[in-house]
Amino acid sequence: MAVNLGGLPMKNPVTTASGTFAAGMEYADFVNVSALGAVTTKGVSLHGWAGNASPRIAETPSGMLNSIGLQNPGVEHLKTVELPWLRDQGATVIVNVSGHSAQEYASVIEALEDGPVDAYEINVSCPNVDAGGMTIGTDPSSVEAVVSRCRQATKRPLIVKLTPNVTSVVDIARAAEAAGADAISLINTLLGMAVDAKTRRPKLARVVGGLSGPAVKPVALRMVWECYRGVSLPILGMGGIATGEDAVEFMLCGATAVAVGTANFSDPASTARVIEGIERYCREQGVDDVNELRGALKA
Amino acid sequence: MTLFDERARLVANAGAGPNLFVATFEAPRLAQSVQPGQFAHMQIPGMESHILRRPFSVYGRNLASQTVDILYQVVGAGTRHLSGISPRSDLAEGFGLIGPVGRGWSPPAATSRALLVGGGVGAAPLFMLAESLKGQGVPATVVLGAQTHAALACEAAYLDLLGEDDVRCATDDGSYGRPGFCTSLATEALDQAAAEGRPFDYVAVCGPEPLMRIVAQEARERGVACEVSMERRMACGVGACLSCVVETALGKKRSCVDGPVFDGSEVLW
Repeated sequence: MAVNLGGLPMKNPVTTASGTFAAGMEYADFVNVSALGAVTTKGVSLHGWAGNASPRIAETPSGMLNSIGLQNPGVEHLKTVELPWLRDQGATVIVNVSGHSAQEYASVIEALEDGPVDAYEINVSCPNVDAGGMTIGTDPSSVEAVVSRCRQATKRPLIVKLTPNVTSVVDIARAAEAAGADAISLINTLLGMAVDAKTRRPKLARVVGGLSGPAVKPVALRMVWECYRGVSLPILGMGGIATGEDAVEFMLCGATAVAVGTANFSDPASTARVIEGIERYCREQGVDDVNELRGALKA
Repeated sequence: MTLFDERARLVANAGAGPNLFVATFEAPRLAQSVQPGQFAHMQIPGMESHILRRPFSVYGRNLASQTVDILYQVVGAGTRHLSGISPRSDLAEGFGLIGPVGRGWSPPAATSRALLVGGGVGAAPLFMLAESLKGQGVPATVVLGAQTHAALACEAAYLDLLGEDDVRCATDDGSYGRPGFCTSLATEALDQAAAEGRPFDYVAVCGPEPLMRIVAQEARERGVACEVSMERRMACGVGACLSCVVETALGKKRSCVDGPVFDGSEVLW
């Protein structure tokens, strides 16, 4: 079940999608975080952000919208509270890094370089902030600038998280590759809206938000497949994964590893269930090594 | 606090008033462990395209039958679907209850007399508190408000527990008790008790936010401790997703695990 995601060894291909799992402490009653391929922590910025006004979520058919806005207490809190806990649990840790500027992303990484971190995921794709996030991730030259700056700050594996809200995700992936990324992760949420017809109001305070859940899985699979064929970077695939079979579909489309996100909300033990499901699939299909699945789509 | 996701069976789902139902679940672990004011985060079977769980406060529990009762009002897709599930259907077996979630009511240890104020279905999350106070010998009075007499779904249970002198009701349409909102009854109760020399020193309020805001303010003006139970749209129910935040004097707090019960003076209304 072991995989290697751009220099990050994982004992199995399953991690958590940033923002759906905090740093894992809240899920400790349901999941042994050291049994996961990795824990990907909630996006962290240098000094913390307050996030957006409420309501912050809305349920939609087979999915949900969120506009949390990267609320986080800042990198020092992560270093002093969550990272020591994750280290004590024996977890593999990917820290999702957020910023308003290339310099802020790099500063967060620099602050974490002496901490128990196994890889960084650069969040240039959050749709819920006014600066940083998706405003960077929709422009290849901005992506290149941020990733280059982060590359200077660390030798640890750098995963760049891509937004689906672009005309060509491959163009963005190539920019990340050119700037020295070790892997890409996709997809972040699709920008969407929900409206209450009776009150004529948007269901989210910020009006727009990010769509996730099973509804986005076909889009995510398509983009993973495009990136698998378009760039040589290993891929962390995500978007609507709730079962082992969903995860296998992403690997068949080219993903080296996968992340479970929104499914954690309906079943807090989703990650463990997805790992079991992949193992069962491999057993039933006579697959000896999960790496055989990567890109094995018969297309 | 240890959380678990308990497979639960719906054993009763009876009408309790207009658009109101009481669902009873066989859920031994939750029945054992739930504290007054805590809630269960419910996976309702048969509506898988609705991917989120729904939070429901626990109304009562029965240790002998290992069941919990949940009073709910039909307000959206989840509660509409729930109201249509028969305990005899196959779906009845398929509920999941994450619980016991949240910080419940925590009256100060020195509480000598308590006023509970419940608006609409907000009467339910206060019932186990009333039982607990009675068990500790702390006199409690409850003020209940609802749109109509028929919607005062918890009145009978409170009458049984506290007796008629300590159950006061208001209806918006004037069909029963004091006409209008129950805030005036709550304020009168505070003042009357103080005038009698047996003042309330703890208030717990659950219901629509304007009700909680007004009662919290009246309590603060009189120097009486007051707790409120905040409801927000919620995704994970375990404290991870930050969907359900409440603005407080100490910053944003999660209604699921930092609440749902907060000190009324802490909430920025």
